[in-house]
Amino acid sequence: MENGANGDRKRHNGNNGNYNNNSRKRRYRDDDEVERTPQRRRYEEPIASQLRRQLLVIAEKPARSAEDEARGIGRDIANNFDDDQVRGGFLDDMMALLVEQPVKIPFIAAAVRYTNDLNSEAAKEIIARAGRLMQEYLDAGEWREFKFFLRFFACLQGILEGDGVFSVFDQLFDTAADLQAASQEDAVGLELVKIILVTIPYALTSSSGLEQKALDLLENTDIIASASHPLENLANPFPGNGDENIFEYQSIIGLLQKQLVRESTLGWSFACIPRIYNKSDDAVVNKQTLPTVTVPSPVNPGPKPVFPEAFCSLYADLSVESVPTTENIACSLIRDVIVDQINVMDFNRIAVTKFLIDLDLYWAPGTFVGRSVPFDKIKDVEEGRSPWKPEDCAIDAVFSQLLLLPAPEHKLVYYHSVVIEACRFSPGAIAPSLGRAIRYVFKNLEYLDMELAYRFLDWFAHHISNYDFRWKWSEWSEEVGRPNVHPKKAFILSSIDKEIRLSFTKRIRESLPAEYHSLIPDGKEKDIPDFKYNVETTPYAAEGRQILALLRSRAADTELQVPIDAIHSQALAHGVLDPLVSSTDAYMTAICFIGSKSLSHVLSNIERCKERLLAIGAQSDAARRQIIQSVVSYWAYHPGTAVNIVDKLLNYTIVTPESVVQWALGPDALRDGRVLAEWWRYEMVSVTMFKVTNRVRQIVKARVAGARGALGANEVQLLDDTLEKERVGERALFGSIVEAVSGLANGATEGAIIEGEGGEEEGNLVRTWAGRWARVFGRKMAVEEAIVGEAAGVEENKVDVENVE
Amino acid sequence: MPPLRTRSTVDRLDKPSSYASKNRKRKRGRNDEREQRSPDLDDKLREATTLYVGNLSFYTTEEQIHELFSKCGEIKRLVMGLDRFQKTPCGFCFVEYYTHQDALDCMKYVGGTKLDERQIRTDLDEGFVEGRQYGRGKSGGQVRDEYRDEYDPGRGGFGRAYSEGDEKGR
Repeated sequence: MENGANGDRKRHNGNNGNYNNNSRKRRYRDDDEVERTPQRRRYEEPIASQLRRQLLVIAEKPARSAEDEARGIGRDIANNFDDDQVRGGFLDDMMALLVEQPVKIPFIAAAVRYTNDLNSEAAKEIIARAGRLMQEYLDAGEWREFKFFLRFFACLQGILEGDGVFSVFDQLFDTAADLQAASQEDAVGLELVKIILVTIPYALTSSSGLEQKALDLLENTDIIASASHPLENLANPFPGNGDENIFEYQSIIGLLQKQLVRESTLGWSFACIPRIYNKSDDAVVNKQTLPTVTVPSPVNPGPKPVFPEAFCSLYADLSVESVPTTENIACSLIRDVIVDQINVMDFNRIAVTKFLIDLDLYWAPGTFVGRSVPFDKIKDVEEGRSPWKPEDCAIDAVFSQLLLLPAPEHKLVYYHSVVIEACRFSPGAIAPSLGRAIRYVFKNLEYLDMELAYRFLDWFAHHISNYDFRWKWSEWSEEVGRPNVHPKKAFILSSIDKEIRLSFTKRIRESLPAEYHSLIPDGKEKDIPDFKYNVETTPYAAEGRQILALLRSRAADTELQVPIDAIHSQALAHGVLDPLVSSTDAYMTAICFIGSKSLSHVLSNIERCKERLLAIGAQSDAARRQIIQSVVSYWAYHPGTAVNIVDKLLNYTIVTPESVVQWALGPDALRDGRVLAEWWRYEMVSVTMFKVTNRVRQIVKARVAGARGALGANEVQLLDDTLEKERVGERALFGSIVEAVSGLANGATEGAIIEGEGGEEEGNLVRTWAGRWARVFGRKMAVEEAIVGEAAGVEENKVDVENVE
Repeated sequence: MPPLRTRSTVDRLDKPSSYASKNRKRKRGRNDEREQRSPDLDDKLREATTLYVGNLSFYTTEEQIHELFSKCGEIKRLVMGLDRFQKTPCGFCFVEYYTHQDALDCMKYVGGTKLDERQIRTDLDEGFVEGRQYGRGKSGGQVRDEYRDEYDPGRGGFGRAYSEGDEKGR
């Protein structure tokens, strides 16, 4: 139905070719075909939709020259700008493209420059439209989108009068300086400086004569970009393990600053930025004026909380230069665009993946070594040619988000899905890069932040579950013999556990080399764990079985009380201090056993026994912790199930966050501290703390809505009181976690281990784990304080409060 | 406020499938678990917190589903699809989240990836009601398993109707 793009383009250039010359043939055929369906009138595609089609895929086809595409589109815009659809809908699409497909901004800007050569009025209108949007995003504190428009204008700098975008840079810098002066902890100012620094290269590439201005600006930004931020230590992905650290913290803006200074000494070449616009000799440069942009005062910090950002790469500065070195500005420029493209288009991971695979199309020719070039061929790349692997740059960018603290923009599983898709798209090219990333992280596990190690672990298991659980386990075989508290061994143990959770034991055992089989106890093969009271030697065995039978027959509560009382009297006779603990074990274990068939079975049983369980917790803290203990003991070989059940028990308020923390990290649980290497324990505590922090954030959200008039003064007061109470509880909980592990981190119980079988090495490892726990939960607390802000009720902090998602 | 984005430059993965559209009912021969739509379907889907999950193996457990789907948010309820007669899993389920956003994220991030080594399918759903957990095929399972002519070991081998040899697929 649609005509070829070339035919269409010709027609609209007024170059009326004889495109319709096959009409005679058709008429002739009419006579033959008796039952021919009536032909629809030939459809002539409107110019606006042709333009849309072409612009949407600009630069996507390696066979076509992007310069020709931009020139053709630019010319068609210039020649058809009187068309309402072109000025209206098509321009909307162009603006949407700037926001959704940042990889294409230089190409769209080039098309507009070509338009400008032919029709300066048209270019003026486009510029005005983009200027309005830029202002709106700036007003809303939508920093990323604002940056896109600023970059668009930077790419147009060559046709802008006077200082152009540099006048915006100056304004942004003044604002940043004020923000930094006002508060040491300000991060919005850092974001503004980052925007300036990452935009300068585009402005200098598209114009000339502004080099001195750039140098002056760099001199100014240096103080802000190079200063260390009070929260930056919390953003460090590789904080090391106490005494030693082989990684140096690098902030994204600090890096940008250094890279730009270096680039200035190299003649500002910015070799990776594509030059798509080339002025034809006869074209007159029609100058345009950059629309007025005003940075609002006070500046709107935006809907998302901003934190100082660490630079993180799994490939940079290693022996083989498969990605730009961190001193090269290309490192930051390419990373910035990929990360934005990934984050801005989470609604279509397949499209995102295509951008990642086609990465080389959006940068200057020669920026990369070529696609799918094997890693060991990179060393052979001749001097003067780029050795950068596009696959490594792409995967590195995805991992930078997976390993971003405090949290990336989207749920972690989004970044999993992008890697899964990339591997599906181009397995031969992506899988080896991924393998190197995995090995690098594994090698440096000890230095990686604990929360990030958990994320990595979770990603790893999920990823290989999508690829037949294939991994070269044999290369880690020597780690199998290490103690369980060793970070590498703990990683292996937990990876296997996570794989089993997504699959089943037999399958995972088959996927592992024989030397790993000893890591999977026989108990893991059992879908339904035994009921310990079936063993006669278990204390209260008879009563335990009786409770089970009564629960099964849904007997009345009074009947159930009989064996429970029996346990109580026996326990008292044995000198047990809290007999309720003993009976609770029997009761909860029976509930687990009856519900062992599936999560919904155990849930319906808990629901049925809710009243008694709630009453137990109300009577005794020890018994409440026993509820957790019974679940964990029953599901000892499937800790993931235990974590899930405890999570549901929290929802029923049968157990409390305090009891979970106490159970997981109290002195009885910690003892010599080895349990700190159990990843499921971390999982249980962090899931619990997420519930707590999420609740506080919800209240803040309701409070903000209430303050806007959704609620009356009394209700707002009520919310304030609740919030204050919840925050006190939240702080206390975080505090108790940090306190619980601090003793171990400082080596308080080191002696205990040395006396045991583990020796000094394990003592040191435990100390390291404790330090990592303290760090993670200390950070989570700091992040909550920063996000929720000082007591949400305070008016000055109203903007902060609005940041809460 | 920033301008509303009227349409995206690429498709979104968190739209309900055409399968869920109203027109579906007019097509003949389509008859499965998700029939009988209410008229205000579009409104319900706009705030849907439930997903229909398809192409599961009959052997995939609730725990496995929970493990994967909780990556998009806490799960409020999980209802396994069962064979109407045998009351055994028959390859689909409903996952209900607490929020609409979690359901959308699941469409975007989990739909089309693998669980138990099968590529699963997710679709926004207007919400579970009692009775919908059962297969609507003649034999008790899902309709799609009646007429399947290729062997699928994760879903009971050959299609049941097909192996009985009475009807051609589709």
